[in-house]
Amino acid sequence: MKIIIAGDGEVGFYLAKLLEKEYQDITLIDTQSDKLAQVEKKLGIATVIGDSTSYKVLKEAGVEQADLLIAVTSSESSNITTCLIGKKLGARLTIARINNMEYLVDKDTLDLHDLGIDELISPESLAAREVKYMLKSPALTEIFNLYKKDLYMLGLRLEEDTSIVNKTIAESARLISNKSFMIVAILRNGKTLIPTGELQLLKEDILYFVASDEGKEKVLEYAGKKPIQIKNILVIGGSKTGKYIALRLSKYYHIKLIEKNLERCNYLAKEIPNVQFICGDGADVNLLEEEQISQYDAVISVTGNAETNIFSCLLAKDLGIKKTIAMVENIGLFDYSQKMGVDTLINKKMAAANFIFRNILKGRVLTQLYGIDAEIQEFILKENSKIINLPIKDLHFPKNAIISGVIRNDKGYITLGDFELKANDRVFVFSLPQSNKEVTSFFK
Amino acid sequence: MNLILQKRLGTFKMIFRQIGGLQIILGYTMALPILISLIYSEYYSALGFLISSLACIIVGFLLYKKIKNTSEPLTHHALIIAAAGWLSIAIMGALPFLIIAYITPVDVAQQFVPAGADYGSSIFFFKNPLHAIFESMSGLTTTGLSMALHVPTIGKGLMFYRSFTQLLGGAGFIVLTLALLGHSSGRIAYMLYGAESTGERLKPTIIQTTRSIWKLYIGMTVFSFIYLVIGTYLILPGYSLTENLFDSINHAMSGQSTGGFSTLESSIASYHSKAMDILYLLPMILGALSLPFYYKVFYEKQFSQFWKNLQTRAIIITSFFGSIILSVMLLKSGIITEPFRIGFFQFISALTTTGWQTTDIHVWDAASIVFIVLAAMVVGGAAGATVGGIKIIRVLLIFKGLFWHINNYFSSENAIKVVKFNDKRLLPDEMNKELANVATFAFVYMLFLIVGTLITYYQMFSGYTLKDALFESASALGTVGLSCGITSPAMSPVLEITYIIQMWAGRLEIIPILILFRTIFLGTKPTVV
Repeated sequence: MKIIIAGDGEVGFYLAKLLEKEYQDITLIDTQSDKLAQVEKKLGIATVIGDSTSYKVLKEAGVEQADLLIAVTSSESSNITTCLIGKKLGARLTIARINNMEYLVDKDTLDLHDLGIDELISPESLAAREVKYMLKSPALTEIFNLYKKDLYMLGLRLEEDTSIVNKTIAESARLISNKSFMIVAILRNGKTLIPTGELQLLKEDILYFVASDEGKEKVLEYAGKKPIQIKNILVIGGSKTGKYIALRLSKYYHIKLIEKNLERCNYLAKEIPNVQFICGDGADVNLLEEEQISQYDAVISVTGNAETNIFSCLLAKDLGIKKTIAMVENIGLFDYSQKMGVDTLINKKMAAANFIFRNILKGRVLTQLYGIDAEIQEFILKENSKIINLPIKDLHFPKNAIISGVIRNDKGYITLGDFELKANDRVFVFSLPQSNKEVTSFFK
Repeated sequence: MNLILQKRLGTFKMIFRQIGGLQIILGYTMALPILISLIYSEYYSALGFLISSLACIIVGFLLYKKIKNTSEPLTHHALIIAAAGWLSIAIMGALPFLIIAYITPVDVAQQFVPAGADYGSSIFFFKNPLHAIFESMSGLTTTGLSMALHVPTIGKGLMFYRSFTQLLGGAGFIVLTLALLGHSSGRIAYMLYGAESTGERLKPTIIQTTRSIWKLYIGMTVFSFIYLVIGTYLILPGYSLTENLFDSINHAMSGQSTGGFSTLESSIASYHSKAMDILYLLPMILGALSLPFYYKVFYEKQFSQFWKNLQTRAIIITSFFGSIILSVMLLKSGIITEPFRIGFFQFISALTTTGWQTTDIHVWDAASIVFIVLAAMVVGGAAGATVGGIKIIRVLLIFKGLFWHINNYFSSENAIKVVKFNDKRLLPDEMNKELANVATFAFVYMLFLIVGTLITYYQMFSGYTLKDALFESASALGTVGLSCGITSPAMSPVLEITYIIQMWAGRLEIIPILILFRTIFLGTKPTVV
C-alpha cells in the first residue's frame, strides 16, 4: 500500500511514524528541507521537498500509484487543493485536514466527496468529540467503540478500596458471573502488561477492557465504580479544541470557559451561546479559586501548553474535582501525567490518527491508546484459516497478545477461553509491539 | 474669509439641489389628486392641485437642473438634507390647501356641507398659511392632527390629498425620491436612506432596497383597501358602496402609513359600530410592523419571522396587554361607558401611532392619560415601519440594558458579560455603545416632550389641564394624531408652530433637526464641545 502524507507537522509526523510500522511505502511532502532530513534519519521513509499543491511535487511523490493521500498541513485551503489535484492525478483515497467546521456541518450541500475528497478530518473537533464521549461515562479514563455500538474498549483506574484489589484476575473473575467483558491490558507504573489468570491486580492500576454493549455497565460494577453525575464543567483554554468542546457540550452541561487572551475571549463569547466566558490565566490559582473551581464536577484543560493543562488538572484533582481531562500533545508526558493522577488525556494527533485507522484504513486496523504500548489490531478470518473452530485456549497464541473480541453477524462477543472462532469473524487483538509480527503471521 | 463664504455657499447649493429633486417628485404626486377631484367634479380643487403641482415642478427643476457642480454630500449633509428637505416639502405641500381655500367660491364649498348643519365649510381655515402648513406637515409626517374641524366639508379632492400625503410620507419621501430618480451614487443614496429611516439594507444597492420597500408598502396598502371594502360591506350592508370605496381607499392609505387621517366627521366613531372598530384594528397593527419584516416574510419566505422577529412579537404582546391595562384603568375611572371597546381601540391606535379616534379623550382621568402617553405614544411601533415614537426596539434595548446592568453584579469580575439582543450577541463595548446611542435619543425625545408639554400648558385655552397638555404634545411628537381638543384652528400660533416642529422632529427622530439647527447657527466646521 502506497501512502503519501502532505505536511510534516505534528499530525503528519505522527501518522508517518505509525504507518511506517505497518506499511512499506510512505512518502512525506513538506516545504522545509531540514525537517524532512530529520524525518528521513528517524523513520527512514521517502521524502519530497516542495509545496504539496504543486502538480510537479505530487507527481514526484508518485501520486499516480498512491492508495492514500493524506493532506495535513496547517493550511486548510492547501489541504483541500492538494486532495483535489491528487485525486485528479490518480490517488485512490484522499483525506484533508480542515479547521473550518462549516465543511463538516454542511456535508450534503458542500459535497466535497464529489469533488474528490473522500474524508475530512479536524483533529480539534475529534478531540472534542472524545471529551464528549468521556463525559458520558466519567468513571472511565478512556472509552471508544471498536466496532459500531457492539464492541467497546474501556479504561479505568483501580481505587484503593475496591473488592478486586490484591486479587488475581482469575479470583476476581469468580466474583462476577459474566461473559460480557474481559481485561485486555494493564498499565502499571508506566509498563504495559498483557494479563494472564495469575496476575494480581493492584491499586492504581489502569485496567483496559474490551466489552460488549451490556458489558459496559458490568465493568463499572466489577471495578467497584460508583456512577458520577456531571453537570458543571470548567474548561480552561479557548483554543480551537476548547471552542469545539464548548460548542458540542453547551447543550448538555453548564460550562464556564477560561481564556487568557481578551480578544480571543471576546470572539468566543460572540460565537458560542450558553457558555460563560472568563478572561484570565487558567494556571493562576487565585483566579481559579475566585471562579469557584471546587464547585465544578469536571475540569477540562485544553490550553496550548501541556504542562499548564496537567497542572490545572492536578490542582483540580486536589480540590476534589471528580473528573479531570487534560490535553497533552507531548506524548512523552503521558506516563507522568497519568501517574500523577490526571484522569483522562486527550491528544489531537492521536485522535486524528485513530480516526484514520478506524474509519479509513479498513481491513487491518491499528489503534493507539493513551499511555500504553499495546496496540489493537483487527483481522477478518478467512475460510481456510487454521485457527477456526478451535477453543481459543488451545490456540497457542503469542504470549504478549490477547484475542479480546469478535464481531460475528454484526454482534459483538467477548472471546474467553472456550470461545471458538469462525470464518468471516472480525477479530480484535491486543498486543505489545514486539509481538505484532508474530500475531500477523498467525492470521495469515 | 472669502474662502469660508464660498465653502458655505457650496454646502447650501448642494442641499438646495437635493431639495429640488424632492420638489419635482412632490409636484408629480399631485397629479393623482387632480384626477380624483375631476372624478368628483370638484373643478376648483383640480385647478388648485394643478397650479400647486406646476409650482412644485418648476421650483424643483430650477433648483435641480440649474445648480450644477455641487460637491459630494458627507454624512452630516445627508442629515441636513433630510431635515431641510422635509421642511421644504411640508411648505410646498401646503400649497394645495392654501390655493384651494382662496379660489373655491363660498357657494361651491357650501355644497360639501351636509344639509341643515350649523357650520360652514372647513376649507376656509386654510386661508391662513400656518394652518395649511400644519395640515401638510401633519399629513406628511403621518401624524393626523387636523385643522379641518369638519373633515367632510373640505371636499373629496382635498380629503384624498391628505390621505395621500400620509401614504407618501409614511415610507419616506426621500426613499421615494431615491426610488424614482434612482441615479444617486450608492454612497449618497445610503446616507440619505439612513438619514430618513431606521431601515436596513435589504438588497445589494439602496436604490433596489427603496424600490422593494415601496412595492411592499403599496402591496400592503392594497391589501388593507380590499380588506376594508369587504369588511365594511359585510358589517354595514346598507352603507353606500361609493362611500365605502372612498373611505376604504383613504383609510387604507392613512392606516398603512399609521397616519390616521379620516374622511369622516368624527373618525372611525362615525360608523357607530363595534364590529367596525374591530375591523379597523388590523390595518393599524399591519402598519406598525417594520417593512424589512414584510420583506423577509414575502420575498425570502421566512414565515418563522412571525414569532421570531423581536419587534413583531413585542408589538403584538404590548398591544394585547397594554389594551387590557388601559381598559381596566378606564373601567376603574368609571367615566367611559364602554371601557374595553374604547381601551383596545385607543391603545392600539396610540401604540401604532395611527391616531384614529373613537372617543373624547379630554374627559379621561389623568392616570389613564399618563398611561397611554408613556406606554403607547412614547413607545411607538417597530423601527423600519412608518410609526413615530421612540420605537419599540429601542425601548426593549433600554430595558435589556437595565437588566444586563443588574445582572452583571452577580457574575465574576473576569467574566465576559455578553448580552443577547435581537438574535445577536453583543460584547460589553458594543452594548454600551448601543445603549449610549439609544439612551441619548430617548433623553432628547423626553426633553422635546417636556418642553412641548410646558409650551402647551401656557398656550392652551382654559378648561384644559396639564394631562391634556402632555397628551397633545406627545401626540404631535410621536406623530400619533389623537387629540383631546387642544388642536383647533383657533389655537395660538406659538403652539401651532411648536407642534409643527414637534411633528417634523418626531418623524425624523430629532437628531437631523438638531444638526440642521447646528448648521444654521454654528456652520459645519467641527468644534470641540
